[in-house]
Amino acid sequence: MQTAFSSRIASAKIRRSLAMGWHDPTTLIGVLLLVTFLLLILAPVIAILTDMFFVQLGDARRVGAETGAFTLYYLDRILLSPMAEFLFWVPLRETLINAALSMIIAMVLGSGLAWLLYRTDMWGRAWFSTALIVPYMLPSWTFALAWTTVFKNRTIGGQPGWAEAAGLSPPDWLAYGQLPIIVIMTLTYIPMVLLLVGNGLRRIDAQLEDCARILGANPATVARRVVIPLLRPALLSAAVLIFADAIGEFAVPYVLGLPVQYEVLSTSLYRAISSRQTGAAAVFAGAIMLIGIMSICLDLYLMREARRFVTIGGKGAMDRTRRLGRWRMAATGVAGGFFVLGVVLPLGVLFLSTITHMPGRLNIENFTLDYWIGRDLGTIALRNGVLFTPELWEAAWNSLSIVGLASLASGVLGLLVGYVVSRTSWPLLGAALRQLAFMPYMVPGIAFAAAYLSLFAVARGPIPPLYGTIWILMLALIADQMPFASRSGIAAMAQLGRDPEEAARVAGAGWWKRMFRIIGPIQRTALVIGILMPFVAGIKGVSLFIILATPSTDVLTTYSLRLIDYNYTQAANAVVLIIALIAWGGTVLVQKLTRTGLGDGLGG
Amino acid sequence: MPRITLDHISKSYGPGPAAVRDVSLHVAAGDFMCLLGPSGCGKTTILRLLAGLEHLTTGALHVGDRVVDSPKAGVFIPPERRRLGLVFQSYALWPHMNVAGNVAFGLQVQRIPKAEIATRVARVMDTLGIAQYADRYPSQLSGGQQQRVALARMLAVNPEVLLLDEPLSNLDATLRLEMRSELRRIHQEFGTTIVFVTHDQWEAMTLASTIAVMKDGALQQTGTPDDIYARPVNSFVARFIGNPPINMIDAASPLGQRLAGQDARHAAIVGIRPEAVTLTQSGLPARVLSIMPTGGSWLIDLALDADRLLLSTQTRPNLHIGQTVGCAIAPQDIHLFDVHGTRLPQPALQGSTFPPRIAMRQTQKDLL
Repeated sequence: MQTAFSSRIASAKIRRSLAMGWHDPTTLIGVLLLVTFLLLILAPVIAILTDMFFVQLGDARRVGAETGAFTLYYLDRILLSPMAEFLFWVPLRETLINAALSMIIAMVLGSGLAWLLYRTDMWGRAWFSTALIVPYMLPSWTFALAWTTVFKNRTIGGQPGWAEAAGLSPPDWLAYGQLPIIVIMTLTYIPMVLLLVGNGLRRIDAQLEDCARILGANPATVARRVVIPLLRPALLSAAVLIFADAIGEFAVPYVLGLPVQYEVLSTSLYRAISSRQTGAAAVFAGAIMLIGIMSICLDLYLMREARRFVTIGGKGAMDRTRRLGRWRMAATGVAGGFFVLGVVLPLGVLFLSTITHMPGRLNIENFTLDYWIGRDLGTIALRNGVLFTPELWEAAWNSLSIVGLASLASGVLGLLVGYVVSRTSWPLLGAALRQLAFMPYMVPGIAFAAAYLSLFAVARGPIPPLYGTIWILMLALIADQMPFASRSGIAAMAQLGRDPEEAARVAGAGWWKRMFRIIGPIQRTALVIGILMPFVAGIKGVSLFIILATPSTDVLTTYSLRLIDYNYTQAANAVVLIIALIAWGGTVLVQKLTRTGLGDGLGG
Repeated sequence: MPRITLDHISKSYGPGPAAVRDVSLHVAAGDFMCLLGPSGCGKTTILRLLAGLEHLTTGALHVGDRVVDSPKAGVFIPPERRRLGLVFQSYALWPHMNVAGNVAFGLQVQRIPKAEIATRVARVMDTLGIAQYADRYPSQLSGGQQQRVALARMLAVNPEVLLLDEPLSNLDATLRLEMRSELRRIHQEFGTTIVFVTHDQWEAMTLASTIAVMKDGALQQTGTPDDIYARPVNSFVARFIGNPPINMIDAASPLGQRLAGQDARHAAIVGIRPEAVTLTQSGLPARVLSIMPTGGSWLIDLALDADRLLLSTQTRPNLHIGQTVGCAIAPQDIHLFDVHGTRLPQPALQGSTFPPRIAMRQTQKDLL
């Protein structure tokens, strides 16, 4: 009797929650998302981390154990063996030096520029605040290519650089390796500092500075005691983000380091993968991940600290701009110099190289449009200009379709994550989704690609081997973009609140109707941004593609890198310019849509 | 104690109407002066001009015997050298310094010996009752505590003039009352000249010794609270001061014509304060539309034919809605304004040699 009664209550409870779940499928979607992310994000990472502890296919004899048996061979060989110094510790040291130096120099120069832009009466500040961001929109290796176009010397074959053509013989240390890598990484990070620090500068309540001045502090004291301490979280956060990004930077050291066997962790990982040393690759990927995770944890800690400093932008409209006086011209010159160095020179060099036969000669006969639109050029391969080469259009189509579809998917998934996180009554589910979606951020792209390769190269249960198909690229891209997409989705949904949806519900709208008639239209802009941002990043990204793309799934980035390897300098540069144009166009579109600019999307 | 003089000052931001238009004002030493006006009337701009956070467009600013800002004389003393204190509406406490650090900052930049800083900081924190929060950060304090820290931070440097921007607007009702008496106490204790800005006429009336009413960047009237209440120079000031608001009756209406008397030709508006209307057995016949208790006093909405009159009384009215009563208004309580809103002489006193008391009785008889 008693049990019959209680079981009736239990079944009523279940029926009730089923009915509730049917009409409000938030939890259901949340669980589906969770499973998706476990598979797309967590599984690959775990797969590659375990790879380093088990004997990989083909290594059985070398390791002296059966394939699949537990082993510490890889860790021992990479980290401790006599080869370790050369294999691991030198690249690690170089990675850390490059990351730290480019981060520090970019921070110093970028902060200085931010101050000039937002706090002085330098000329053309509005124009510069957009113009100086342009390098951020270009793929980082655009600069690497421009550099080699100018400084390439006799060490490697192919067309010589402009300097060599002009009779100067640039030494190796100038042409390749550490120096140009640091210079170029610094150049590409300066816009990031400008955005993050500039944002911080603008967000500081002007009254905090006014107050200090009223109490008798001169501008220098105000800067030292008020502005810099308040900016500290933004500065530290920018530093950590840049450092983490620099650790995973692949394309620049690949282009500039290879000719002189200059290795960093990411290129070592690439080399390990291309020579099928899966176990070694796992160790490198693990090391890169570890540094990335440590940096991001540091950043999260710093941001938590920063919350104490949240300041509300007051109406204090005091003119905070510092009169530069006779330094005004010089300051404008410095900003202009950065624009020339970061935008005009690299793009100009690349473009010039694509319309000249021989490097560096500026006589009329030397100019040609053959590399763009020529036909029957009498070369061994690539007999037509790039625009008439079917491979380019295939690669372009692949780029646009793969990256486009993946971005579409990550944008929608991001908004759904936002929906579940802001709606679910299960705080654990929300937290798990948020953390999982953020995880790829801690794993540099090249390591993430390696993880995908490790998991999906062979059939796993019902999933067929995906390597060589566009699916592996799509899935990796989606997962890699989830941090940005979910962040913008969560922000958008948190801002919206429940009211509009609840009003629709009371008015009798079912879940699908609410999604398509209420949430969708309201979040249209957020969705477009959540799609476009990953699209831009995906178009100019290299690390995922270089490992996961095969000739059949060639995209623009891998196509141009292959042209570099084959020493078709002009054609490679032309392809890079096309990529830069697409990335730039996409970024401009994002900026037009958000109006606020890139800073917010970056700092988060 | 310095006396502050605003000498025909104007401030404009680019084209369009100026934020402050030709304001001249004297603030006596030790005065507790209030700049009162609706939002956007330029009162905060004046405060920022005084502090040196904005530059004058024309005119001159004197604090004591120094000229602190004068475009004509080419003088501009930057805020850090004006020796003024300014408490912002949002308090603007430095979030990265604790309470003691915030309060000590002004003394530190003056390079005062550490021991002296410690004693002065302790003293001012004691006075304001925030000594126990010395080690806390601003985000750990309530609004009222933050307000005190903001005050302490300025008082610590012993400024000659203290400027307060909407000092009570961010506090709840109870704290407001508390801070109000606190401010009065500080004014007496420190003897500082205080200029404060508010849009709340009640705050201005209860705190200030002098009130300057502003509208659209121009000064309307300066005077003691009583003065401004009793003799508003124009219809704007009359409307702005007083709660419940003054009755504004069209001078052309039947009631308006009776109240304005022979001045009806010049007057456009007749203003009657609600508390100036008294209930009488006889008087003007009026119908009771509604009775609103406000706790301790009552507001009664009266209809006199087509005109409406709001009455405020301290005694419980023994009335019911729809009842007809008589009401009377003393002639010195009748404010007349012309079409431009400018005050006209009061009707019954004009050219009259009668003492007001008699004049009132006479008019009352008149009205009966």
